[in-house]
Amino acid sequence: MRRKRGKNSDCCLSDRVRGCFGRRGCAAKNIHSPLRNCRGRVRVCKVNGDRKVCAKMASMGLYPGVEADIICAENNSQCLVKVNGGTISLDPATSENILVTNL
Amino acid sequence: MQLKIALAGNPNAGKTTLFNQLTGARQHVGNYPGITVDQKEGCIIRGEQKITITDLPGTYSMTAYSVEELVARDYLVNERPDVVIDIVDSSNLERNLYLTCQFLELGVPLVIALNMIDVAKDRGIEIKVDQLSRLLNVPVIPIIARSGFGQDDLIEAAILTASQAGPWISREISYGKDLDTTLDTLVTEITENSFMTDTYPPRYTAIKYLENDEQILEKGQENNADLAGSLEQTVASVADHTLKTLDVYPEAVIADQRYGYIKSIIRQGVETHRFDTDRLYTSDKMDKVLTNRLIGPIIMLLILFGLYHLTFNLSELPVAQLESFFGWLGGIVDKTLPDGLIKSMITSGVIDGVGGILGFVPLIMFMFFGIAVLEDSGYLARVAFMMDRVFRIFGLHGSSVMPFIVSGGIAGGCAVPGVMATRTLRSPKERMATLLTVPFMNCGAKLPVLALLIGAFFHENKALYMFLFTMLAWVVALLTAKLLRSTVLRGDPTPFIMELPPYRYPTIRGLLIHTWERTYQYIKKAGTVILGISILLWALMTFPGLDNEKVKNFDQQRQQAITSFSSEVMEEINLKAKPLSEEAGTLSEKLSTINNAEAEATLRYSIAGRIGGAMESVTRFAGFDWRTNIALLGGFAAKEVIVSTLGTAYSMGEVDVGESDSLGQKLKNDSHWNRVVAVAALVFIMFYAPCFITVVCIAKESSWNWAFFSIGFNTFFAFLSAVAIYQIGMFFQLA
Repeated sequence: MRRKRGKNSDCCLSDRVRGCFGRRGCAAKNIHSPLRNCRGRVRVCKVNGDRKVCAKMASMGLYPGVEADIICAENNSQCLVKVNGGTISLDPATSENILVTNL
Repeated sequence: MQLKIALAGNPNAGKTTLFNQLTGARQHVGNYPGITVDQKEGCIIRGEQKITITDLPGTYSMTAYSVEELVARDYLVNERPDVVIDIVDSSNLERNLYLTCQFLELGVPLVIALNMIDVAKDRGIEIKVDQLSRLLNVPVIPIIARSGFGQDDLIEAAILTASQAGPWISREISYGKDLDTTLDTLVTEITENSFMTDTYPPRYTAIKYLENDEQILEKGQENNADLAGSLEQTVASVADHTLKTLDVYPEAVIADQRYGYIKSIIRQGVETHRFDTDRLYTSDKMDKVLTNRLIGPIIMLLILFGLYHLTFNLSELPVAQLESFFGWLGGIVDKTLPDGLIKSMITSGVIDGVGGILGFVPLIMFMFFGIAVLEDSGYLARVAFMMDRVFRIFGLHGSSVMPFIVSGGIAGGCAVPGVMATRTLRSPKERMATLLTVPFMNCGAKLPVLALLIGAFFHENKALYMFLFTMLAWVVALLTAKLLRSTVLRGDPTPFIMELPPYRYPTIRGLLIHTWERTYQYIKKAGTVILGISILLWALMTFPGLDNEKVKNFDQQRQQAITSFSSEVMEEINLKAKPLSEEAGTLSEKLSTINNAEAEATLRYSIAGRIGGAMESVTRFAGFDWRTNIALLGGFAAKEVIVSTLGTAYSMGEVDVGESDSLGQKLKNDSHWNRVVAVAALVFIMFYAPCFITVVCIAKESSWNWAFFSIGFNTFFAFLSAVAIYQIGMFFQLA
C-alpha cells in the first residue's frame, strides 16, 4: 500500500516538482480520498458541498457512482476530470469536496 | 403560418454552427463553452414554409443553475416553439442525452440532431440511429453541422414533427420508489389546483420542486403561496429521508436515475465502441502537457509571445505599403483639389483620420487570425483553465477569464461582448468585479494606438513591448479587481466548474471566416462611425478660423520673406525644381516655418484647440500637450479616434502632404513627444474611461451608477499612473 501524503508533506522542491507531474500516489483502494489528491482512474463515492453546485456537477456527469479519469497531474490546485467522454475542470475547493476511490 | 424552431443542446455541441449553416448568418462560433449567452433569431424559407430559427444558449440541464439555463428554459416555456432541435454531440452521447431527458420531461416536440457523427466515427464510436430513435420515440437525424451534412433531412423531420405535435406531455422516467411516490403526490396536488399548469406540465413542476429549482419555487410562491408551502413541505420530508438513507439530496438521486435511464437505452445496442472506452484520446494526452502546472504556463506565454512576434513581423510590410498608399492618395488630392475647406477636410479629416486607422488593417487581420487559431483549436479554453488559478488570488472567478480574453486579453478583442459575456458568472459581486475590469484589456481599437506608439518609440523590440503592455493590462485589471473585491464588492468566492472542449483542427474556411468577420467589423467601423467622428473633430479643429488680423499678419510675414529674395528664387520654388539653390532652400524653409506657425495658430484658435489648451494646465503633469488632449478627448467616443485625431491634428500643420512623414515619424520628430511621454500616453489610453458604447453596455448590464463609476475611477487611475510615469521618467532622464 502506498503511503498517503498530505499537502503539508511537500517538504522540498523535488517533491513539489514530482507532484506537478503526477508522480505522487493516491489513497489506497477502498479508502475515500478527495479527488484532488488522486490520479488515474477513480470512482466517485460522494459529492459534498453546496447543494446547487452538487446538482450542477451531476448535470455535467459527475455524481456518486460514476467512474472518471483524472487527466491532469495532481497539483493541489485545479483538476481536469474526464467523465462520460467530457473533460471537466474543477477548482481546488470543488475537487476537495469530491470523494473518490482508486480503481 | 410561420414555424418556430429552437436549437438547444449542451454547450459546444455545435448549435451556433448549425444555426449559421441553416440561416446563412455569421454568428460567432468558438471552440469553448459559453459563447452564446443570449438567444439569436434567423429566418429561412423551405418550400412555402417560413421558418424562424432561434439559437439558444448551451445548457447542461433545464434547472435554474445559471443564466443560460434560465434564458433557454424561459424561451421554451414562454415562446412555445413548434419544435425543439436538440443538438447532441455524438462523441459524448451519454452526457448529452441527460439534457434530452429533460426536454422529454418538459414534453416539448423534439427532434434529435446527432452532430459530429464524423468525430464519433474517428473515435471508433458507432451509433445505431434507428435504434436510438425507436427507444426514445423521437426522430434522430445524424448531421455534421460544420459541413452541412444532413441539414435538409433535419429540417424536414422538424417540419413533420411540428405538424404532428399535440399538447406538451411529460415523458415519465422512474426515479426510484421513494421519489416516484412523492412525485405522484405532488402531481395530484398540482393537477387538482391547476398550479402553473398553463406554463409547465404538472410532472415537470413536481420534478423541479424535488430538484429545489429556485425560479420554480419563487414562481410557485407568487402563484399560490399556500399550495407552494405544502409542496415544499412534502419535498422537505423526502429530502430528509434521502439524506438519512442515501446521504444525498433528491436532485442527486434524480441525476443518477436519469443517467441510469440513458445507460439502459445506450446498452440496448445503440452505441458500440471499436476501441477501449477507457483510453485517453490525443486531446487528453495533450492536456497532460499543455495544462501542466509547471510547463503549461510557460508554453502559454511562449505561444502568446510567438503570436505577437509573428503578427508584427508579417504585418510590417503591408502596413508600410498601406501607409504609403494613403500618403500617395493625400498627395493626389492635394494636387488635384483647389485650396480651401473641402481639400482640408478630405486630406486632414478623411484621409489622415480614417486612413490612419485603415493602415493598421493588416496588423489587425494577422492578430485576429492568430486568435482564431487559438480559439478554434480549443487552446483558448485551456488558457482560461490555467488562468483560473491566478484569478482566484484576485477575487475573480474562473469564468471571468473568457470575458477578459474576449475583451482583448490577447490584444484585439472588444469590451462590449466582453461585458456581455460576464452573464455566465453566477455571483453578482464577482460579475461586477469582472464587468468593471474587462475594459482595461487591450481591445482592437487600442491596438492601432499601441502599434503606432510602440512602432515610433520602441521600434527595435516591437513584439516584446506589445507583449509587455498586454501583460501590464492584465496586471492592472487583476489588481483593480482585487481592490474592488476587498472593498466595495467584498464577498465569498463561488466554485468554478467548466467543461473543456476537445482539441480540434481548425478549418481554413472557419479561420478565414472568423478573421474576416472581425476585420470587416473593424473596417466598417472605420468607414462609418470613425469617419463621422473624424469629420466632426476636423470641424472642431478648423472652426472658428483665425481672425483676419492674424491672417494678415502671417501674409505680411510671408510677403516680407519673399521680397527679401529676388523673383527668380520664388519662381524656382514654384517650379519645384530639384535640387533647390541655396537661396531658394533658405526661402522655402522660412515660408514653411511661417505656414506651420499659421497652421498651429489656427488649430490652437479652433474649438478643439481651445479645449485642448485649457486642459493642458492639468495634463502637462502627465506630459500631454494640447494636441494630444484633443485626441484623448476623441477617444471617449471610440478609442480608434485617438489615432485618427492625432493624424488630423498633426497633418493640419503640414505644408506638403504629398511628401509627408508617417504619423509615427511626426510624433517622433515632435518636441513634445519622447519615450517617457509615449509610455505615459500608452498607459493613460489603456486604462482611462471605456469608450461610449462600452459605458452604455455596462449601464445596461448593471446600472448607470456603475457605468459612471467606471468612467470616473478609470480616468482618475489612468491619469495618476500617467503622471507618475512621466514625472519619474523625466526625473531619471529616461526620455
